[in-house]
This record gives sequence, C-alpha cells and structure tokens, in this order.
Amino acid sequence: MTAPLVIIGGGPAGMATAIEAAKAGLACTLLDEAPRLGGQVYRQPPREFRLTEQQMHNRDYRRGAALRAEFAAVGDRIELRSETAVVGLEGGHEIVWTSREASGTLRAEHLVIATGAYERPVPFPGWTVPGVMTAGGAQSLVKTLHVQPGRRALVAGTGPLLLVAANQLHQAGVEIVAVLEAGRPTWSPRVLPKVWGEWQLLHDAWTYWRGLRRARIPVHFNHTVFEAHGRDEVEAVSYGPIDPVTWQPQRERVQRAEVDLLVVGFGLVPNTALAELAGCRHEYMHEVGGWIPVRTPHMETTVPGVFAVGDGAGVAGALVAIQEGRIAGISAAERAGVLSAAEANRRRAPALERLRSLARVRGLLDEMSRLRLGLSELAAPSTLACRCEEVSLSEVDNAIQQGAQDLQAVKLLTRLGMGPCQGRNCGPSMAMHLANKLGRGPADTGRINPRPPLKPVTLGAMAQLNVSATADADLAALAHGDPR
Amino acid sequence: MNRATDIVVIGGGAIGGAVAYYAARKGLHVTLIDQPKRGRATSASAGGLWSLGESVGLGCGVIFHKAQLDAGTAAPGHGPAQLPPAFLDFAMASNAMFPQLAQELHDDVGIDIELERTSLLFLIFDEGDEAFARTLWKDCPCGRQLIDWLTPEEVAAAEPALTRELRGALRFNGDDQVNPYKLADALRAGAIHHGAKLLSHTEVVGIEVFEGRVQAVQTSTERIPCSIVVNAAGAWAGQVGRMAGLDVPVYPVRGQIVGTQSLPHLTTACISTSDCYLAQKHHGEVIIGSTTEHVGFNVDVTTSAIQTLCAGAVRAVPALADVDIKRVWSGLRPGSPDELPILGPVNGLRGYLNAAGLFRTGIVNAPLTGLVVADMAAGDPVSHPVEAFLMARFQNGTQVVAGDATPMRQHGMASAK
Repeated sequence: MTAPLVIIGGGPAGMATAIEAAKAGLACTLLDEAPRLGGQVYRQPPREFRLTEQQMHNRDYRRGAALRAEFAAVGDRIELRSETAVVGLEGGHEIVWTSREASGTLRAEHLVIATGAYERPVPFPGWTVPGVMTAGGAQSLVKTLHVQPGRRALVAGTGPLLLVAANQLHQAGVEIVAVLEAGRPTWSPRVLPKVWGEWQLLHDAWTYWRGLRRARIPVHFNHTVFEAHGRDEVEAVSYGPIDPVTWQPQRERVQRAEVDLLVVGFGLVPNTALAELAGCRHEYMHEVGGWIPVRTPHMETTVPGVFAVGDGAGVAGALVAIQEGRIAGISAAERAGVLSAAEANRRRAPALERLRSLARVRGLLDEMSRLRLGLSELAAPSTLACRCEEVSLSEVDNAIQQGAQDLQAVKLLTRLGMGPCQGRNCGPSMAMHLANKLGRGPADTGRINPRPPLKPVTLGAMAQLNVSATADADLAALAHGDPR
Repeated sequence: MNRATDIVVIGGGAIGGAVAYYAARKGLHVTLIDQPKRGRATSASAGGLWSLGESVGLGCGVIFHKAQLDAGTAAPGHGPAQLPPAFLDFAMASNAMFPQLAQELHDDVGIDIELERTSLLFLIFDEGDEAFARTLWKDCPCGRQLIDWLTPEEVAAAEPALTRELRGALRFNGDDQVNPYKLADALRAGAIHHGAKLLSHTEVVGIEVFEGRVQAVQTSTERIPCSIVVNAAGAWAGQVGRMAGLDVPVYPVRGQIVGTQSLPHLTTACISTSDCYLAQKHHGEVIIGSTTEHVGFNVDVTTSAIQTLCAGAVRAVPALADVDIKRVWSGLRPGSPDELPILGPVNGLRGYLNAAGLFRTGIVNAPLTGLVVADMAAGDPVSHPVEAFLMARFQNGTQVVAGDATPMRQHGMASAK
C-alpha cells in the first residue's frame, strides 16, 4: 500500500505537519504510538479524569487544545492511526509498523519524521534505585495517571523542563526540598533585547519562577546530585556544588537530604533512530542534544522526500516544533504537486519568520543548559553504564584501556548498548565519558547504530507481517544470493 | 633476525584467538593483532558446534536450500549439499577437542565458555523434510551411532515447547553449543596467559615480502618483523591476502540473526528446521538464524529476513509468538568457493599460513584449526591432515569436489571472481 504522505509521531510537530498538508489538500496518514494525540508536551489525560480549574488554565494545556482544534477542523482529510508503533524503515520509504492487533508495511511517497526526543540519561551512583525518576516520567505520572510519585522530593538537572516539573509536582502535593540547576541563572537585563517580542516564552518562564518562589522552594544554581542512597528505594540523596565552567563535582562540599523521590532532568536527546534508518546524513550539534539530521530550511533531510521536524531534529521545544511541522507539511504538499511554488512560499513565510524570532531565545536557553563534560565524573567505577546488559563504568574504562576509541569499539568489547534500548540509555552519556577520558569532542566518539525493531515487538507480530511487493523482491534477491 | 616475534596472527576472532593460543602454548613468541570490525562473524555467531549437522547440510544449509526452492533456483528433490568426508573428519575431531579446551581455558584464565551438551534436532514438518531426513537416516556419513529418529511422541516428551505439528525429528548427538563471545575472549586471554602479545584496535596495513619470504607485518603504527604471518582475518582475509600478493578466495556471506529477550528454560536441544535454526543460550536468549546473502560488506538487516526467521521460529516453537525480539543483527561469514576452509601454506611464499574461509563453521572448527596452524608454524608434525584444505586446490584447478555441484556452490564460485 502506498500513501502520498506519512507522518510518524503525533506530537506538536507531527500534528502541525498534518494540519498544513491537509489544508493544502494532500491526503496524509499519521502514525502515533500513543492512544491520543499530543505527544509528551500536549499529552491529554484519559477521558475519565475531570480536569481541575488549574489544569484548564495551564498554558501547555491551552496551546495543546488550540492545536487539537486546528487538527479537528481538517481531521476528515487525515488518516490517524493511534497506538501504532513504527519498528522499521527500509529504503527510506518502506515503513514497518505494529499495533496491538496487527502489523504491516506501508510505503510512503513522502515521509515526515516527528519522533520527538527522549530524556538524557546521566549516570551517577544510585541512578537505578527505584524512586529515582526522570522529569518526564514524573510529569506523566502526575499529568495522565494522577499519581503522586513521592512525598518528599529533590529535583536535579538542567534546563527549563526542570522548573516545569518542579511546579507540577508541587501542585500535585509533593514536598520539593530544592531544585538543583547545574547551569547558571538565565535571566538578566542583558538578555532582554534577545527575547524582545517573544512574550509568550518570557511569560512562561516568569510563571514557573513565580510558582517556585511562592511555594518557597529554593533553587540552587551550579549544584547537582552526587548520589542516591537506598537499596530497594531512595532513602536519601547526596548533592553539592559543581564547577561553574566544567561542571565537575566539588565533593568536599557535599550535603544530604532525606527524600523518597529524586527527579532528574538533564535535558533531551533527539530521537533520530528513524532518520538514521532512512539513511539521512547526521551532524553533531551539542546545543540541541547531539546528533541531528542535516536539513534544508524547508525541513527536508539529505534523503529526497524525507523530512524531519520537532525535537527529534534538534531539541527546541513545542513552539519551534509546531512551526517546523507547518513548514514540512507545506513543503511536502509542494513536492507532491498540490501546491505551486509561489503558494507554498506564501504559506511558509509566517512560520519561517516565527522560527527566526524563536531562534534568538533558543540560543539563550541552549547556552544556559549546554551540558559540560565534567558531569560524566559523577559516576563511580561500579556505577552501571548500560542498564540492559549490566555493563559497569569500570568495564567501559577497561575497554578504553584496551584501545577502544569510540562507542562502537566499546560495544564490541563489553556488549554495551546491545540490549533492548539499543543504546538510548547509555549512548549519549558514554559518548561524553569517552570524550572526557580521551580529550576529544563528543562528536568524535561515534554512535551506536539503531537497528530494527526500534520498539519492543513480539516474534508473533513480526511473523504475521505482510511483507509488501518491494520487500518480496528483496526476498527473492536473497534466495538468489544476488548482490542488491 | 629479530626473534622478538616468531609469529604474527592477523585477526582476533575465534580462529585467530585459537591459533595464538595453541602457538603460545608451544612456546612461540606470538603477536595477535585485532581490529574489531562491524559484522565480524565470531561476535555475530550463534555458537553452534554442529559438526555432523553442518556437514550434512543442516543449520543454514537447509534454510538456504528451501529459499532457493521457493524462488525456483534449485531443482526440487535435491536436498542441501553435503560436505566431503575430509571436512566431516576435521569438524568431528575439532568438536571433540572442546571438553578439554573448555577445562584448560577455565584453568588458565577462569573464563567459562559455556559448553553445553544440547544435541541438534532436525524437525520434520512435511514430506520434503521427511524425504531429506530419510536420506540422512539411510546414508549418514557417521552411520547411525550418532543419530536417533524420534517419533512425534518422543519429540513431545523430550521438548514439550516444540509444536505438535511434527512428523518426527532426527537427533544428532554430539552437536552441541558454546558461547562464541566467551570462547573468543577466553582464547585471547589464554594466549596472553601463555605469553602472547595482543595489539587490539590495530589495523594491519601491509605485509612485507622479500625474495619469496615474509619479513614483517606493518600496522598503522609500527613494523613487526616476524618469520610467520597467519591470515585469520575472517571475511576480510581476501584483503589481508592481497597485502602479501595473494589471491585468497574469501568473500563475505551475510547472515541475519534475531535474538529474543532472556527467557526461562524453553528448549534443551538446538533446533534446525528448513526455515531457521534456534539455540537457547546459557543466559536464556534464543538465537534464531539465519540467511545466506551475497551483499558484500553490507551489515544491514532487512524486514523480509526478520519476518521469515520469526515465522519459522514461531512455527517450530509456538510460545515464541508472545516473546519480544531483543535485537536483530547480521554477521559476515568468511565464504570460500567450495565452502571448505582454506588452511596452511601457499605455493611460492614462505612464512605465510592461511587460517581462513571457515564459512559457517568457524566456531566448531576453531580448536583444530588453531592447533594445526600452530603445528605448522612451530614446524611440528601436523595433528590432523589438511591436504584437502590447502589453497593450492584453487591454484592448480584440482578442486576438491563434493557430490553434486549445487546451485549454491555454482553461485559461490561465480561471485568469488
């Protein structure tokens, strides 16, 4: 089966893509893993929950609702397949998907990858103890399950999401002992000209600060977590100051807090697995989360007809993701021949202008929470580097001693990254560790290549897969042993 | 001459590790050079020790044969190719070395290579399978002492997780398994234990030859004078051969493999069907292989191959339908034109030894390959005859012929050129 446009991911970027493509008259298919649209940031609570007054007034909620309304207006031209995971991609355009009931392949003439980002894991002693949770994990417990993840918490990490998470936890009734921000204070008069005009963002930041201030939650800059204590659950956390420039821990000034929850958020890593399987060229951009696909201003990757948008193409938040999605939707319609070049340019102009404005603020946020290599010194030799295969940091260091210079070599020697997460939990942090140890840039420490299936999938689902005509041709080629 | 190194072994997989291990045990000064590459067959391998099964066409042979039948490129009725008696003798002798080797490696370096007595079961689903099994039962090169014909009831009693849709099974006793990573790790560590020097993450860039004799090996960082060089570079053996001016006919043959999450005990025997093979490893993962593809050094995995392997696995062990795939990968077997190893010296170049072209059986053949190549390097009597495996069989046009020339073999010869 062939679809003119397939969008993978139903967050802000994917929704905006579908909206513009549908408006332009291009039929599109949107595959989303979640039961309901919105992605992580505009995630909707299950229908059974009644929203509180406070949640109704939440900015993210309102923006999500606005986008959903726009989507609903053109919804009859969008085929939405929820709870559908993409597990593979061949030849840049052949999608392998699975859902609870079925599995299959789908050929996309044009493809927009809007797969978002995942939370950056930073290993430290005790990071695998139950009660240590990512900011996003804690948020989704509060937002969609209405579960209070702990009673007394410490929040550590860097970046704006940390403040958001702290506020939401506080509203959910969790006592926040302190917020530990590894970076420096963001706002000063100096930065005002840069954010001029982006009142929404400024207002967001102000709201979150005010929330913490009112709740009397202290924010310690240039501080972070050193260790989580406890065996079966978190009982206490050691934390302290870090060097403002290198972020190396200053252990002589360690403090301790008795908490049952540690929320950690060191920013996001773009999920580029599909763009990599598509064969798109990638470049390393530390400020936006690491490896990202190289794109034209119209969001097209180096593989013709394949676009990448949103946090999965460089972490920049929902507002940027929406504009990128709009541009990709319009550009895909132009490529498919349903929009003239002139009309496409006219429609793209406002989104491009908005992106330029947002980019100024983005640069500022990026600089504030740019990860420094000293953070990789939090882990001890016995700390797990790879949770799936249970590889400790000392095993990684042994491999380095034996001559391993990049992630691929460490993987071959230690099995690091060979588990079901395909290196998502260890790749980014070990790239930084290698860089720190070998005195290189993180860009020069290689990557762990993604392989299908990208998501957990059963043998039964794969066995039932109806391999399409193109894939059948592949199969025949295999039997002949022909070079392809 | 500089005697710091007698022998340089190029390639740190199971084969290179075994050569280095046995050579070091003989007191030779060994340098083992390893450059981990994507697709290295030792790391990709399932670790089956199916000396008898592989010789009669089980494992990947029967899967490939069925794929060819489906694609109409093999004449119906022909079973997969059997390898010649010289190969069977070699593989059986090598397999027989494992219990002692496992003990020695454990004593030397404390690594358990996870040698398990599993046997290999060939499952009989339909008439085609049965016809193939009957031929093996009638004319097994080892007679019947190592094989049993199991009725459906006997299969169900021995392996309750297997499907009941079987007409029976053939059991090959003595076809067991190890953990291939652990084997390679232990051989390398064992070599070091006996005095070998390991240069890991080191690329060989040249082999220096003067007046028909190997003089030294050049790496990206140093020149290592030596009297013997061993080519154990797996799928890359052709490239290493060219450094010495030789045309070593070894080329990569891709095999894709599916690994499951770790499971509680599911099967005892290794399983071979005409769709796939299955081996549950010591830590619970089930390894499901494998394709036979000539795609150069490409190590991608393909949806159609994963689909076929998963369908084959679920057909054999229905409970696998609800099990998650953990990982899919591919490896590059070092193929040779007649599927037989290429071992020992070559005409016209002294000081050069092949330990190459082990194709599907590098793990089971590692011990004896290591031993005979070390024998030759040391000038000792060779522990097992290797005449059938000399590279001269290609140079002189007197190639060992095994039974009928199958399409697989014809194809292999064509793509070696």
